[in-house]
Amino acid sequence: MDEDKALNICVPGQRLCASDKVVIPGAGTYEEQGYIYSKVAGVVKFITEENTRIIEVQGITEQSIVPAPGDIVTAMVTIVNQRFCKCNIKCIGDVVLTRPYKGMLWKEDVCAIDKDKVEMYKSYRPGDIILARVLPMTEAHTYQLSTAENELGVAIAHSEEGVAMIPISWTQMQCPKTLYKEYRKVAKVVPEHVIAEY
Amino acid sequence: MIEEDIEADQGDLRVDGRRPLELRRIHVRMGVFGQADGSAYIEHGKTKILAAVYGPHQPKGTGRSKLSKAIVNCQYSIAVFSFTSGERKRKPRGDRKSQERSLELRRAMEAIIHLELHPRSQIDIFVEVLQVDGSDYCASVNAATLALIDAGIPIKNYAIGCTITLVNSSYTDGGEEGGVGSGVLDANFIEECAPGVTLSIVALPETNNDNVAKNSGLIVVAQGAGQRLHLSLLESLKQRALLGCQDIKTILDRAVRHHLTIHSLPSLCNVTLD
Repeated sequence: MDEDKALNICVPGQRLCASDKVVIPGAGTYEEQGYIYSKVAGVVKFITEENTRIIEVQGITEQSIVPAPGDIVTAMVTIVNQRFCKCNIKCIGDVVLTRPYKGMLWKEDVCAIDKDKVEMYKSYRPGDIILARVLPMTEAHTYQLSTAENELGVAIAHSEEGVAMIPISWTQMQCPKTLYKEYRKVAKVVPEHVIAEY
Repeated sequence: MIEEDIEADQGDLRVDGRRPLELRRIHVRMGVFGQADGSAYIEHGKTKILAAVYGPHQPKGTGRSKLSKAIVNCQYSIAVFSFTSGERKRKPRGDRKSQERSLELRRAMEAIIHLELHPRSQIDIFVEVLQVDGSDYCASVNAATLALIDAGIPIKNYAIGCTITLVNSSYTDGGEEGGVGSGVLDANFIEECAPGVTLSIVALPETNNDNVAKNSGLIVVAQGAGQRLHLSLLESLKQRALLGCQDIKTILDRAVRHHLTIHSLPSLCNVTLD
C-alpha cells in the first residue's frame, strides 16, 4: 500500500491545481477557468524546467497509433488503377498497427524522375508489400503515400507461381523458379542476410 | 391503489426496502473484453449493462468524417431476454426507442469527449442492456463513461446518469409539500411503471467544492416519461437528481481508482522506475 501513496493516481475530470505562469498544463491535462484538470485516468507527473513546472498525466492504456505525415509505412497494394493504386497500411516503422488504415498512391508520386512516363501496371501489382512515406493529408478519409525515393517501393512481391521474387534491378524482379522477369518499382532494401554478414 | 400501498404500509420505505434518496447497489467492472479498446460492465441493482468502445480509428464510410473533430457513433441495444417479466422483445435494436436512446447517448458522449484531439477519426460506442429493472438509460450512460476511461480516450469529466421519480401522482395536483417529499431516486421497474413522473438526468457533476450549494452540475441530457408534472416541482426534482449524480460519481470514482491500482500496478512500477 506504500506504492499507492507514492503514486498520484487521478481520474478524468479531477482538478489538479491552479493554473498560473509557473504551473503549465502538459499532456493529458486541460485548463478551464483557471484550474488544471485531468483528461485521462493515470499517474500525475511533474516536469520541472527552468522557470516553469509542467503537469502531465500519463495514461495507462496505450492508444492506437495514427500515421503522421513523414512516417515510413509498410503497406499492401490492394487495387491498381491507371491513375492510382490503393493500399492497406499495415505497419508504421516497426510498430504493427492494430487495424489497417487505407492509403492511396498516385501515379505522380511513384517515381521522382520521369513522372509522365510512369505506368502503374509496371510498378505495382495487387498483393505487393511496399514501403512508402506518408504525405500531408489532402483527402478526408485516406492517407496519401509516396514512393519517390530510392529506398521506397516494392519490398516483397510474389510471382504467378507464388514464390517470392528476387530484385535484379530497380525496375525488374525475377522469379527464381521460372526465371520470368516482371516490372516493379523496386525498393533499395538491404537484405537481412547481408546485414548479418556485416 | 398499488401506489398507496407503496408509501402507506412501510412508512417512508419503498417496495425494495430503500429510503427515497437511497440508490440501489452499484457493481462495476472495467476491462471485461480483451478485443475492444475499452469495455465496462455495470449493475444498478438488477439492471445490467455492457459497454464497449472502439477507437479512435479511421472512419469506414466515405464522406462522413469531419476535418476538425472526431465522430462519435453510438449503438444502444436492448437484449431480447432482458425484461424482468416474461415477455420477449421482438428485435434488440433498430426500433424507435433504441434509436432515440442511441441519439441521446451520442449527445451525452459528445459533451464529455475531447473531440478536437482526434480529427478525421471515429469513436464507436456499443451499449448492450442485458437485464432491465428500471433506469436502464442512466446506467448505460455510466457504463459508456467507464468504457471510455478504460479505453484511455481523453474526457472532460464523468457523465453521470440518474433518475428521479414522483411516486404519488394523485397528490401532485393537490398540495406541493406532498409532491416534493415523494420524489425517489434510482427508480426500479415497479416504480417506473407506476403512474408517476420519471425524470432521467445526465449531468457532469461539478468537482469544485465552492459551487456545490449553487448548482451542483451541468445537465447535458434530460428526458421525462409518464404523466404531467407541475412546473414548481421541477427544480426540487432536479436538485435531488443532481445529489444522486454526486453519489454515483463517488461510487464510480472509487471503482476507477480501484481498477487503476489493481490491474495496472506492474506498469505503474515500471513508470516509477523510469
